[in-house]
Amino acid sequence: MKENFFRSMTWLHTWVGLLVCWLLFLIFFAGTISFFKDEITYWFEPETHTVTHQDNRLAKQRQQINYAVEQLQNKAADSSSWRIYLPEPRNPLYTYSYAEPKQPGQRRAKFTETYLDPTINEEIAPPRETKGGYFFYRLHFDLHYIDVRTARWLVCLASLFMLIALITGVVIHKRIFKDMFSFRKNKGSRSWLDAHNVSSVLALPFHIMITYTGLITLIFMVFPYPAQTVYEKGLQQMFNEASPIRARVESSDVPAPLVSMNTILDQVYTKSPDADIGFFFIRDANKESSRVSVYLNTGKEVVDNGAAFLFSGSTGELLAEQGKDWSASARFYDSMTALHAGRLASPLLRWLYFLCGIAGCAMIATGCIMWAKRLRERLKPQQQAGVGLKLVETLNLATLMGLPFATASFFIANRLLPLEMVARADKEILVFFLAWLAMTVLAIISSSKRQWQLAAWLNALVCFAVPLVNAMTTEGNWISYLLTQKWTLFCVDFGFIIAGSLFILQGKKLRTASKKVSTRRFQKPKDLKEQQG
Amino acid sequence: MMELLQFSLCFMAFNCFALAKFNHFREVFKKKLTDKQRHSFLATGWITILLSLVLSVLSEGGYGALLFCGYMALSVLMLMILYSFTVSWVKHISILNLSILLLSCFSVMIF
Amino acid sequence: MHSQSIDAVPSQRPKNVFKKRSVSISYRISVFFRFIAAIFGGYVFTSVLISLLAILLPLNQLDSVLLTTTLSVFFYSCVFIWVFAVKSLKRVWITILLTTGVQFVILSLIKGWL
Repeated sequence: MKENFFRSMTWLHTWVGLLVCWLLFLIFFAGTISFFKDEITYWFEPETHTVTHQDNRLAKQRQQINYAVEQLQNKAADSSSWRIYLPEPRNPLYTYSYAEPKQPGQRRAKFTETYLDPTINEEIAPPRETKGGYFFYRLHFDLHYIDVRTARWLVCLASLFMLIALITGVVIHKRIFKDMFSFRKNKGSRSWLDAHNVSSVLALPFHIMITYTGLITLIFMVFPYPAQTVYEKGLQQMFNEASPIRARVESSDVPAPLVSMNTILDQVYTKSPDADIGFFFIRDANKESSRVSVYLNTGKEVVDNGAAFLFSGSTGELLAEQGKDWSASARFYDSMTALHAGRLASPLLRWLYFLCGIAGCAMIATGCIMWAKRLRERLKPQQQAGVGLKLVETLNLATLMGLPFATASFFIANRLLPLEMVARADKEILVFFLAWLAMTVLAIISSSKRQWQLAAWLNALVCFAVPLVNAMTTEGNWISYLLTQKWTLFCVDFGFIIAGSLFILQGKKLRTASKKVSTRRFQKPKDLKEQQG
Repeated sequence: MMELLQFSLCFMAFNCFALAKFNHFREVFKKKLTDKQRHSFLATGWITILLSLVLSVLSEGGYGALLFCGYMALSVLMLMILYSFTVSWVKHISILNLSILLLSCFSVMIF
Repeated sequence: MHSQSIDAVPSQRPKNVFKKRSVSISYRISVFFRFIAAIFGGYVFTSVLISLLAILLPLNQLDSVLLTTTLSVFFYSCVFIWVFAVKSLKRVWITILLTTGVQFVILSLIKGWL
């Protein structure tokens, strides 16, 4: 496009980055937070905080399944779908749920959940209605308040641009190894460039991996064509062949008693003696077409569709098995989803994923800010900012300061909204967006350094408010969590304390910077030119 | 312990790569970097980083490879902060890292 | 692109100067069409390429679909970058249309649509 390859790639890197940077920041921000979605959801449901992880978790699974099935038979023998989620390392809760009959016009049936304390096998009061960490998870690819398909196409386009930006970024960063540890501070847009380079390079394998694999998770929406070309019945036929466990079966009306779960579990444990069962689904229980699916936890394996079994619920025979003898191609595809979701990650790896995600957010943020600064620097002293520059600066402030503000507000709303409120989960999410809107209004009014300073103080305020409100509205606080070794809860509260401190630092730095600017305004233009020199 | 050993090897490797550059070496040691020193830093760096990778993969396979990428990210971050903000600490941190490395190495071999 | 040669620069020009503010409408339009070529042209090219590959690869049905779909992103990225690396936009469009057309014809012949 330009005179040489290098210049073309430089141009391309800037423009694909700029066109979608704010959406990308949202995706990376929400995605990074959702690495801890289970832990955040746990914080969001204080009613479950008495539930602790059990010892001998695996040994108790058989009995837990039998108990849950017994309860489901009593409560919802005619339900089309039963689900049992067993305790796992990241989530000590044990739940069973059943589908209520679908209302006309409903796309998916509503499920009624019962929560149990696994140590005593007794029901606990249902926790407050909330989406918790799952909000961030869904936000990062389904966005919100817009049609899901549209959202996913937008996210895919943004991710494609991100991948192009990464590749071109590597191509144009000639001094990638020479400058790896360089960071020149207090040098204006040079420092922002250094920050952009460092945050990109330090987690470069992660950035490329997460972007590529992210596209792969939605790839069948984007490119259904190979499947449609190869299979007569298209995508659905391919999915059924790839994952026979999930294949849909016509529901029959012939009643047939459900076999004892022990028959099924015996077969599972024979095939896999150390099986760690994650979920247990039963469809059309008490009918001839009933199906029992058993999904095992995959631990640290780099697989997404791990070992799973499909049994007939009326006869107990094994119908399909998954996870053995995957071909290289299937393993290649499957490992990509596994890498992206990071479900395999233990605490250490999970924190490293999180760190790399933060680096990704920093990379995008520094890119946005650097662009705005460059445009400002190119303005002549008397020239006013054009519409384009104003738009970029407003969007920068609204997105980069608005999202943390909205997040902290979301956490506070969880503690403060009345428990009996109708559609409580949706109202919590509304608070998130209203807070973001508030920050956007602030940004529209002005996006000067002083406004950034104000935004930093506001963010610090809400961040510190989170552990404070938590202490006031629940039985614990960050100190008690530390003393009783409730690490999940401690990390959430303490994380906000650290975030708040960083915002205070930012506010202070901006204050000294804006002081420099205001003294400059009183200097003569000649002195200014000398300084800019 | 094993993870600590893998990480400290990785950190040491990137530290060597940093010191193999003229500007960083000058900031830390206040002397000029000779060619011989540069080659020994680079060699040590490559050996330790490969050792870290091999140990990670041998102990946990694909999972270990992921951990290794994470170690690289964390090492580069820490070293960037060290070299840009607190260059005077580089010597102390390097010695600390070396002791951690040796300690974890012994404990892995013994247990 | 030929209008770009006006901007042909000596090598002392600093790297981080972006395009001049007084760009012509024709430049903006050509940039727009280049993005169209990259996004939509690249999409169509990739779709036909991977569908054709899925048929031609000597693997079983499921494997060839999974492999080609997984590699689709890689192909798409390559095409996208190529669109911006080539100087002439006309050449970009002609190449994409020709190659996509040829592949589609081959695919139709194999599948018996034609």
